[in-house]
Amino acid sequence: MICPRCDTDKVDVMVQSPVGHVWEMYLCHTCAYTWRSTETPDKTDPARYNPHFKIKAGEIGQMLVIPPIVPLA
Amino acid sequence: MAQALPKTEVPQAYMDLRAFLAVLEAEGQLVRVKEEVDPEEIGAAGRASADLPNGPAVMFEKVRGYRNPVVTNVHGSWANHALMMGMPRDTPTKAQFLELSRRWDLYPVPPERVEDAPFKQNFVDRDINLFDIISLYRINTYDAGCFLSKACIVSADPEDPKSYAKTNLGTYRMQVKGKDRLGIQALPFHDLGLQLAKAEALNRPVPLAICLGCDPITTFMASTPIRYDQNEYDYVGALNNGVPMRITKAPTLDLEVPAGCEICIEGYIEPRVREVEGPFGEFPGSYSGARLQAVVRVTSISYRDNPIFENLYLGIPWSEIDYLMALNTSVPLYKMLKETFPEVEAVNAMYTHGIGVIVSTKVRFGGFGKAVAMRLLSTPHGMAYSKIIIIVDEFVDPFNLAQVMWAMTTRVDPDKDVSIIKNCPGMPLDPSSNPPGMHNKMIIDATTPKAPEIVSRETELLTPPAGTAKWAAIIAGLVRQARD
Repeated sequence: MICPRCDTDKVDVMVQSPVGHVWEMYLCHTCAYTWRSTETPDKTDPARYNPHFKIKAGEIGQMLVIPPIVPLA
Repeated sequence: MAQALPKTEVPQAYMDLRAFLAVLEAEGQLVRVKEEVDPEEIGAAGRASADLPNGPAVMFEKVRGYRNPVVTNVHGSWANHALMMGMPRDTPTKAQFLELSRRWDLYPVPPERVEDAPFKQNFVDRDINLFDIISLYRINTYDAGCFLSKACIVSADPEDPKSYAKTNLGTYRMQVKGKDRLGIQALPFHDLGLQLAKAEALNRPVPLAICLGCDPITTFMASTPIRYDQNEYDYVGALNNGVPMRITKAPTLDLEVPAGCEICIEGYIEPRVREVEGPFGEFPGSYSGARLQAVVRVTSISYRDNPIFENLYLGIPWSEIDYLMALNTSVPLYKMLKETFPEVEAVNAMYTHGIGVIVSTKVRFGGFGKAVAMRLLSTPHGMAYSKIIIIVDEFVDPFNLAQVMWAMTTRVDPDKDVSIIKNCPGMPLDPSSNPPGMHNKMIIDATTPKAPEIVSRETELLTPPAGTAKWAAIIAGLVRQARD
């Protein structure tokens, strides 16, 4: 399985629906995106995910750190 | 110590969310969806309800694949806001502001400590699975996952963990990243951000109690800016018109939490760890970016039988969050200004959590309005949040935008009355904050000029002609006759 947002394959089933087997949710270990199997393709399909919200795995290390980590005392 | 209660007709104080929901339902301000819904429909319903005039709270009794109900838009109208305060549902906004301001001065009303609490009915500390208990859902389309948007989070000062005064109750967005893992946004100027910095300097975790579904005033207070060394619980009692709230010891942590909550999640912020968090559709009406933010490990969950998950929709204003942080942003700013400038009459900081603020004040001498604005910009909340400050005369109602626009169009000389103050602290979620966390501020002084400022023309205000009140009654009568 491929993460719809960052297109990497480090994806696991995060949880199955507590009642019935009506959906499961997935977690991307690269970008922490999660999605549900029953959601629409704009949230689940890498090819149809809004390009504006895509993340390249290589960009993650450059993201702003909030709040900044203070030096050790 | 608590002051004696004034005699008023507002005795209502809710000890938990369920008591408030019962009143909302009786007043026609809560509707129930009994049919099963898909989890991701709940955000849309929150948007839709907030768009209605006096939109109700919406309770979803059955959410597909989950065990427990969800309620949204609980604070999402002026009617619900008034009922939260035990006032008639049609109370005007300014009257709610004045009542809130009066109750504010009852502070402190210390809480009552109780042993037992409904949320202690059930406890889990092994094989933790948030989804077993909480019916989690994505709020807006490009949110990075399911979020807790209305959690009341309790944390202590790492250097003074026994201090009741420094214990913080705040609302911070939380992204669900696993069955027992959450992301949290603690900005540097937030109380939790301050505590996190102290703990991380010592490489220690920050224990947290994350309380969901509290009574409405507690949730309201969790998003109210007050001083770091003031405890929010003492304010809840004040805003409950002098009725103390109930708190209880958290099941495993050395923290005291609201006894009325539906769900209490315990855990800790992992020190010196950051992970991708967001985007999240935020209160300025746009998505935040994805950033590296702090992470919470969940260690236990306690909950009432059939726990109700209370969460809010937030989007382009107005949505539920705008009601939740309208008057509780306005009143503290009003009180802080009033301490230094008793001339201040009222503060309307309802626009995007106080990014836009309108202050009405008497003017003692030239430049006074600008000085009041500078004071606002040096308050803890105004410093980072407030960006556009409009100062109007004391006879202008800052909650009446037609009057405010009148003052702007007839009092402002843009050359001298508009001031830009560059390179100030800013609110990073404001998409115009550049770089995120920095603001240029704008002050618009729309007060009437006074000496020694050069007063080029005297301004004589129009007053209603004699007989206006009489004619108002006559015309209203004729309108009624015409309708009948």
